[in-house]
Amino acid sequence: MKHYDCKYYLDIDAFRGICKRDKSQINADDSACEHFEKATKCKHCANFSMTETDLGMCMNEYDAYPEMKAITCNDFKWK
Amino acid sequence: MATNKDFLECSTDLYNYYGPKPKGDIQSREINKTPSPRVDKARQLYFETKSSASVEFPYWYTRKWQDLEGEVPIIRRAEALKAGFEHLTPAIFPGELLAMGKAHYLRGSYPMPWLSEAFFLAQEDEMYKEIQKAGKVSADEVTTMGQGGGNVTKSSGNVISIAGKFGLRKEEMPMLLKVAKKWHNRSVDDVGHKYEQLVPDYKTKEEIMRAVICMFDSGYTLPQGREVMNYFYPLQYGIEGIINICKEKASDTAGYPGMDRLYFYKAVQTMLEGLQTWINNYAKEARFMASLEETQGQKEEYLEVAERLEWLSKNKARNFHDALQLVWIFHVAVLNEDAISGLSPGRLGQVLYPYWKQDMDNGTLTNEKTIELLECMRMKFTEIDCFASMGVVGGVLSGNTFNNLCVGGLDKDGESAANELEMLIMESAMTCDTPQPTLSLLYDEKLPEDFLLKGIECTKIGTGYPAWVNNRVAMEFLLSNFKKEGMELEEARAWSLGGCLETSPSSWMPLELNGITHYIPGGSAPATSVGVHFISLPKVLEAVLFDGMDMRTGQRVYPPHGFKLDSYEEVWEAFKKYFSITVEVLTLTNNIQHDVWGKISPSIINSMLKPDCLDLGKDISNKGCRYNRTFNVEVCGGVNLVNSLASIKKNVYEENSFSLNDLRSAIDANFGYVSALETGSYSLTEQLKTKDYKEWLKIHKLCFDAPKYGNDDKYVDDLFKEWQIWFNKMCKDYRSLYDEPMYSCQISVSTHAPMGAVTLATPDGRLCGTTFADGSVSAYPGTDKNGPYALFSSATCYNHALSQNSQLNMKIHPSVVKGREGSRKFLEMIKAYLRKGAFHAQFNVVDSRMLKAAQKNPETYRGLMVRVAGFTQYWVELGKQIQDEVIARTEYEEI
Repeated sequence: MKHYDCKYYLDIDAFRGICKRDKSQINADDSACEHFEKATKCKHCANFSMTETDLGMCMNEYDAYPEMKAITCNDFKWK
Repeated sequence: MATNKDFLECSTDLYNYYGPKPKGDIQSREINKTPSPRVDKARQLYFETKSSASVEFPYWYTRKWQDLEGEVPIIRRAEALKAGFEHLTPAIFPGELLAMGKAHYLRGSYPMPWLSEAFFLAQEDEMYKEIQKAGKVSADEVTTMGQGGGNVTKSSGNVISIAGKFGLRKEEMPMLLKVAKKWHNRSVDDVGHKYEQLVPDYKTKEEIMRAVICMFDSGYTLPQGREVMNYFYPLQYGIEGIINICKEKASDTAGYPGMDRLYFYKAVQTMLEGLQTWINNYAKEARFMASLEETQGQKEEYLEVAERLEWLSKNKARNFHDALQLVWIFHVAVLNEDAISGLSPGRLGQVLYPYWKQDMDNGTLTNEKTIELLECMRMKFTEIDCFASMGVVGGVLSGNTFNNLCVGGLDKDGESAANELEMLIMESAMTCDTPQPTLSLLYDEKLPEDFLLKGIECTKIGTGYPAWVNNRVAMEFLLSNFKKEGMELEEARAWSLGGCLETSPSSWMPLELNGITHYIPGGSAPATSVGVHFISLPKVLEAVLFDGMDMRTGQRVYPPHGFKLDSYEEVWEAFKKYFSITVEVLTLTNNIQHDVWGKISPSIINSMLKPDCLDLGKDISNKGCRYNRTFNVEVCGGVNLVNSLASIKKNVYEENSFSLNDLRSAIDANFGYVSALETGSYSLTEQLKTKDYKEWLKIHKLCFDAPKYGNDDKYVDDLFKEWQIWFNKMCKDYRSLYDEPMYSCQISVSTHAPMGAVTLATPDGRLCGTTFADGSVSAYPGTDKNGPYALFSSATCYNHALSQNSQLNMKIHPSVVKGREGSRKFLEMIKAYLRKGAFHAQFNVVDSRMLKAAQKNPETYRGLMVRVAGFTQYWVELGKQIQDEVIARTEYEEI
């Protein structure tokens, strides 16, 4: 898993971010550490299903994509 | 000093000097201050951050919009915006005292495909080909974007570059394309395009855009901005208070005639509820960050941020820190509802003064803490990015967002409005010298000397701010243009600058705090600089000389003008004819675009903030604002036009030195030089000769030796005055969407670069592809040879109050204004210019050799800033066209 997928990853920009736990600057696509926890993203949601590469459906009704952040989504349910 | 002779025969000196050349090493600026450690760290992080875009907001906006098909349009829009705000991922960065931003990235922004969906599509896409045909991407194609700093100019790894500036995660691209396509034939751009084709002369409009005679349409690119924010309602009532007003008003209007009011109040309420969730999401994130934090001080700060946001999601500000946070929340909220540049905080030091005074009096705030908070505010404003096409972001804005903060001016009763908080604002702009917010000092004879000297101290640090702006000239302009809508002298005093230099009507609002009513200034008009966005005057003259053809593309733009051009008067008449055709067709087509914008994508939050929308129940597009005469006609390259007219008049018609055909041939041959587009150097001093240059040398020298604006030369100044009087008058013959006469606006922003890039050599001796003179009354680089006071005389040969603005940029070597004596001399020079009736002057206090060194080694000059034309920008984020132009400007070694 990558930093980009971690709950503790704070984006600075599209390339890199800050670890919320230890405040170190990290690259989005580098491998995560042992403290990794899954970020709330559509790909981890029970309402999400993949339909094609990089795209899927939300609640079988709306277009969606797996990497979308879902921390603010009221319908998010962990798979 | 580089003379004509130097340039034409032995062009070895790269700089234009007035006075002796500087000796010794490159000279740094005299004053160099540093921010608080907290902000120093934040600025370092900013320097290392890339502009990044996200698809989050457009995804949720579009999803909600599609859900609500058939709903009342303004309610549908409000619900879509609400969904966008509610789903933005919150991000709290360590050390920040002011929270929240446009998106979860530090320099985050996002596309708004409901305005225009096409420019970020792949160039192979059929949709892209459609807009290319309509001339809507021509400016993009001739724009150079700054290659350094935070710009993502190339795709790499998992990040895709969009519009030459923004990085987008690769995973988000398929959804961006999917969302964009949902807006095809539904966006403001597409719907507007359908109807603008009904304008009888529409085909000419397309040709004008393809030739880049006009830089860009306004209705779907930057439909709001160049205006002054009004923070009164949130400060006076708090969010919950405004919601209650809306509920009451909705209940008063439901079922009565004029039902649009009901929908407006409901839309505002919906939006504010969305903002409450957005604010509380940030508060939750701050609490989460606190839960992870082991350092006690930082933990407390996160908790304070959370508490403040939770409080402000409902209530009024209690103190200065609250007020600053609330102002910032609404600033971002407006920025997120539209693509906006030039959303100015206005006279923020006067708006916040009652809170600051309260806290200082009760001992809960110090000057040091104030400066730290103001530095945090500067970082927040500097982090703003505006997502738009390459032509707009690079060619017009140079990546800048033009959040102009004004200090000084007069209060409601006509006395100096300068206060102690504004002194601290200027101090914080020195300790934390960042591009945003830029500062302007509204100069009035009533302002105290120590305040003016603080302004000079700030100007001397070399960031280009504050700009010096004449309060009385602005008031005269406003009273003559807004009297019909009820403006009186007292209200004219509330004015401020929207965007870089757009004089904007404002009002005094009665803020109550601790039982006292404070009249605070705030904007009371919609966007200015909408309407006709930048007509290239030298390019129109080129069309006159070539009978309506664009010689770069070989396309006909205008019908043949029908003049034989046997006299100078005929040249001038033909110019006026083509210029008038241009203004007419662009006015009509842009009126349609703005009308469609008001129907599909009306402003809700900004409308709510602007008096008297909330009282009337009308949004901005329905003339809810107190003042609505804000559409204008913008031009670029006026000094090159006038210098060219002087050359034609003298050389062709008075002295018969060569014929008009000879001149055409010389222009076509670029006076025997290689085009700047081939050399990649855009200033006149660095051009390469072809082997044939001697064939054109005589004509070129005569063109260059013709009278030049900026030297107190009556011959050319009379032509300048004639142009100004005619232009300012003719604008009134065209009517805006709001059925008000237009007025003139004379700022170049960065358009003098891309517009110069598409223009052949001009009769004043300027070469093909090189930039025009910047601003509106700046001399063409190297041609102002008689010193600053001669330039001032030329610049003030007409009444500046006829136009929304004028713009003068000067470059001064740091040694000239050194020390206390230098400061006094500098202030006296500025006063002398403004007392002649000038509207504006701004200064780069810099050694040109430093700029050249920074161009060669950008990595060692990450923090270097320069004044371009109404804005300050990091050197490394400017395109080469503009860098070359700033280097080439005349540097004053004596004043």
